[in-house]
Amino acid sequence: MRLAHTREASIACAIAALALVLAVAAPGYFSTENLSDLVLANLPVLLVAIGMTLVIITGEIDISVGSTFAICGVVAGVLAKAGVPVLIACAAACLLGAVFGSFNGALVAYVGIPSIVVTLATMTALRDGLRWATEGAWVQDLPRAFQWLGLTQRQFPLVATAITLGLTAALAWGLRHVAAGRAIYATGSNPAAARLAGLNTSAVKWMAFAVLGTLTGLAAVLNAVRFNQIPSNAGIGLEMKVIASVVVGGVSVAGGTGSVMGTVLGVVLLAAIGPALTYLGVSAYWERAVQGGIILVAIAADGLRHPLYRRVVARLKPSGYGPARRAGGVA
Amino acid sequence: MRPWHRRWLPNGEWALLLVLAAETVFFSAFAPNFFTVGNFFEITRFCAELGLLAVALTPVIVTGGIDLSVGAMMGLAAVSFGAASRTWHLALPLAAACALLVGLAGGALNALLIARLGLPALIVTLGTLSLFRGVAEGMTQAAVNYTGFPPGFLFLGQGYLGGLIPTQLPIFVAIAAAYVVLLHRSVVGRALYAIGFTAQGARYAALPVARRVGLVYVLSGVVASVAAIIYVAHLGQARSDAGTGYELDAITAVVLGGTSVFGGRGTIGGTLLGIFALAVLQTGLHLAAWPSELTGVLTGVLLLTTIAADRHIRRRTHVRAVVEEELEVKNSQVAILCATIIAGSLIVAGTNVWLLRAVGAGPRAADGHAPVAAAAHRLVIAVMPKAKGDPYFVSCRAGAEEAARELDVDLVWDGPTSLDAAKQNELVENWITRKVDAIAVAVENRGGISTVLRKARERGIRVVTWDADAEPDARDFFVNQATAEGIANALTDEASRLLGGSGEFAIITGALSAANQNEWIAFIRKRLADKHRGLKLATIRPSDDDRDKAFAETQTLLKVYPSVKLMMAISAPAVPGAAEAVRQAGRKDVSVIGLSLPNINKPYVHDGVVQTVVLWNTRDLGYLAVYASALVTQNKLAPGARALTAGRLGQIEVRDNQIILGAPMLFNKSNIDRFDF
Repeated sequence: MRLAHTREASIACAIAALALVLAVAAPGYFSTENLSDLVLANLPVLLVAIGMTLVIITGEIDISVGSTFAICGVVAGVLAKAGVPVLIACAAACLLGAVFGSFNGALVAYVGIPSIVVTLATMTALRDGLRWATEGAWVQDLPRAFQWLGLTQRQFPLVATAITLGLTAALAWGLRHVAAGRAIYATGSNPAAARLAGLNTSAVKWMAFAVLGTLTGLAAVLNAVRFNQIPSNAGIGLEMKVIASVVVGGVSVAGGTGSVMGTVLGVVLLAAIGPALTYLGVSAYWERAVQGGIILVAIAADGLRHPLYRRVVARLKPSGYGPARRAGGVA
Repeated sequence: MRPWHRRWLPNGEWALLLVLAAETVFFSAFAPNFFTVGNFFEITRFCAELGLLAVALTPVIVTGGIDLSVGAMMGLAAVSFGAASRTWHLALPLAAACALLVGLAGGALNALLIARLGLPALIVTLGTLSLFRGVAEGMTQAAVNYTGFPPGFLFLGQGYLGGLIPTQLPIFVAIAAAYVVLLHRSVVGRALYAIGFTAQGARYAALPVARRVGLVYVLSGVVASVAAIIYVAHLGQARSDAGTGYELDAITAVVLGGTSVFGGRGTIGGTLLGIFALAVLQTGLHLAAWPSELTGVLTGVLLLTTIAADRHIRRRTHVRAVVEEELEVKNSQVAILCATIIAGSLIVAGTNVWLLRAVGAGPRAADGHAPVAAAAHRLVIAVMPKAKGDPYFVSCRAGAEEAARELDVDLVWDGPTSLDAAKQNELVENWITRKVDAIAVAVENRGGISTVLRKARERGIRVVTWDADAEPDARDFFVNQATAEGIANALTDEASRLLGGSGEFAIITGALSAANQNEWIAFIRKRLADKHRGLKLATIRPSDDDRDKAFAETQTLLKVYPSVKLMMAISAPAVPGAAEAVRQAGRKDVSVIGLSLPNINKPYVHDGVVQTVVLWNTRDLGYLAVYASALVTQNKLAPGARALTAGRLGQIEVRDNQIILGAPMLFNKSNIDRFDF
C-alpha cells in the first residue's frame, strides 16, 4: 500500500513540476477554455482507465479496449440513425461493451486462457471485423439530437464530467470500502489464498472485465456524441494510452496493488503532456520521444528512489522481476 | 519414459500442426498455385523478419517477461543503418555494425531497467517503444527515406540462392538454430526456464537471475536490428516506420506456438510452427483472393481455439495424472482426435474440390498449370489500394467495380488493412504466385515496391500504378490523378485567396511519416517561397489519420497560435476533425480547407466552416485504373500511346506513359452536393 502512495506522490510532483514550467513559459495553458477542452477530450480515457485499473488489480490485462471502443461508437451511431431514441442507443452501446467485456472475462476466468492472449485475439478479430463490416465508411447523417445527447454544447461537458467523476468517485470508494472491492485486491495479490478464503476468484475476474467493457462502451458514447459523424477507425492505440496511464499511476501489472486515485493522476499527467509540448513549442517530430522519455523517467524513479528499501526488498523477494504468481496461477 | 508426443510436442504444438495441415489442405483446394514449391519458399521469405522477432521473443516470454519494443527497435535500427550507409557513406558492413550496436544499446537499456532495476517488463518496453520510435522519427523528421542501396545488398532481401531459396532464409535458419541451442541445449537455457517458472526459486538455486534475464533482452534488441537490416534489404528503403505493429504479430506467433505468457514453458520449434501457420493463413487468403480483413479475424479465432484446446486437454490430463498414474490413454485419444480432424478437413476439402469441378466454369477453374485456351480465359485484374479501410479508397473501389462489370473481367480488390509498405510487397508477391493478368497498385512506397513490380513484369504480368507512382521502369503506365505539385499549388493558392494574400496558417497532416503528405508539404513550402511570400506556415501537427486526434490538435493549435487564420488539413479524416474543433471553438475568423472526401465534409461545407475541399473524382480514378489495366493486358494500349478511350470517361490524354485523369477539383458550397463519394 505504501508503495502506491509514494507513486501517487511522485506523479503528483511530476504534474506540479509540469504545471510550474507551463505557468512560467506558457500561462495560456491554464485558460478555462483550454482546461475544459482537455478535460472533455480525456473523460473517455479516464473512464476506460478506471475500468482497466480494476482488471489490472486482479492481475489481468485487456488490450482489446480500443477495438471495443470503435465498435460501440459505431453501433450507437447506427442505432441512433435507425430511429432508436438516442439515450436507448447509447445504453445499447454500453450493453454491447459489457458483452464484449464478459466474453473476454469468461475466456480468462473460466477457460483459463491468459488475458493477454485472449484480448490480443479479440483486439485483432474485432478491429478487422469492424473494418470488414463497415469497409471504412463513417456513420453519417445522425439525428440532430445525437450530438451533445440533445443538450447544448455548454451543458454537455458538465453532465459528462459529472457522470465520469461520479463513477470514478464511486469506484474509488467502493474499491476500498466494499467487500466486492476488497475481493478484487485479494484476487490480484494472491489468487490461491483468496480462493482458500472462500472468494470466487473466477467470478471476480469475470466481473472486472465486464465492468471494463461497460465503461469502454460508455466512454465510446461520450466520445462519439461530441461530433456529428462517427469514424469507423476510432480508438486505435487507445489501449496503449490507457495502460500507460494506469501503470504510470502506480497500479502494478503483477496485480494486487494500485488505486483509482493513482490512475486519475496518471491520466492527468499523460493527458497534460501532449498539449503542453505544443504550448512549449516542442516540434511534433520529437514529441513521441519526449513522451516516452518522461514515462520512463517517472517509472524508473520508483526503482531508483530508495536503494536501501530496494536492498531490503531484494532480500525478501529476489528481484522484483517476473510475475510471482506462478505458484498460484497454475493451481 | 515420456510418450513421443510429450517429448516432441510438449506445449500443445500438436493442435498447431493440425491447424497447419488443415490450412494447407484447405488452401490447396481453394487457392490457385498455393501448393507449389515456389510458393513454399515465398512463404518462408515472409516469415523471415517477423520470424526473427518471434524467435527472439520466445526466451523473453519463457522468462515470464515481454518485449513490446522490438517493432520500434526495428524502426530505429533501420533508420540508423540508412543514415550510416547513405548519409555518412560508411561501408555496408560498418553500417550494419552501427545498426547492430544501436540494437545492442536499446536492448541493454531494456535489460538495465528490467533486470537491474527490477521494473515490470511490460511497462518498461511500453515506454521504450515510444522512445525508440520517437527517436527514429525525430532523427529523420519522419520524412527522410533512405533508398538507393547497392544491388548486392538488396539481393540479401530480394534475391534467390540457386534460383529458389530466398537469400534471407539461411540467415533466419542460422539464428533460429542458435536460439534452439541457447534455449534447449545449454545451461543458460535451463536457467531461463527455471527463472520463468519461479524467479525466486531460481535465485535460491544460485542462478544469476538478473544477468540471465538481461541477456535475453539484449539479444532481442540485437536480433531486432538483424531483422531491420533484412527488412531494409527486402523493401530497398529505410524509414522510421519500419516494423510498426510487428510486436503484436510476433507475440501472436510465439503464443500460438505454445509458449506460456506466465513463463517457464515454450519452445523455439513451437514458435516456428506458429509463425508458419500465420504466414500460410495470410498467403492462402491472398492467393484465394479473400479479403485481407479475414486474416485478423481468423488469427484471433485461431489463437483462441488453439490455446483453449491446449488448456482443455492439459487440464484433463492434469486431473487424470493425479487420479491415475501415467497417460497411457492419451496416445490413442490424440490419435483419434487427429484422425477425426484430418478426415473431417479432407472430406470438406474434397467435397469443395468436387463442387468446384462440378460447377466448372468458375473463375478459378480456368487457372492453373495446364495450358489454357487463350480465348476462354477471363482476365483477372488485381487492384491494390494503399489501405483498404480508408474511405478514399473505398470510393475508388466503387469505380473499379463499375469498370470490371463493364469490361467483364474478374476484379481482385485487396490491400493492407492499414498503411503498410511491407504488406503491399507481400501481396504483390502473392499475386505473382497466383498468376493474375494485371496488377494495379496505389503505391505506398516507391523504392520498396518497384523491385517486386519489376519481378511481376518479368513474369509477363502487366503492371499499372495509380494514385502514387513507382519507378517508371517498374510499371507500364501510371494513372496520374493529379501531381503532388498540382495538389500543393491548388491548396496554397486557395489558402492565399481566403487569407487575402497574407497571414498565418497551420497544416494538419496524416502520420508524420506519411510519404504523400510529406511530398505535398515540400511543394507547399516551395509554392509559398515562389509565389505567396505573404503567407506564413506557423506549424505542422500530425493527426495519424484519426479524426479525434485531428480535433484535439486543432483545439490546441487555435489557442497556442491565435494568429493562425486558416487550417489546412491534408489527410481525409483530419478535415472534419479540424472543422469540428473550429466550429466548437466558435472561431468564425478561422477557415478550414483541405484534401478530403466530399461526403464526410458536406455538413461543414454547408455550415460555412469548411470553405474548400480539394480532390479529384476518386470514383473515376478507380474506374480508369481498371480500364487502363484491361487495355494494356489486351495489348490495346502500347507504350508511347497518346490517348486512350476509357468507357464513360471518353478520350483520356496520355503523356510519357502517364494517363492523366485531369486537374484536381475544388469542392465548395455550390457543387459539393453533386458528388457522392
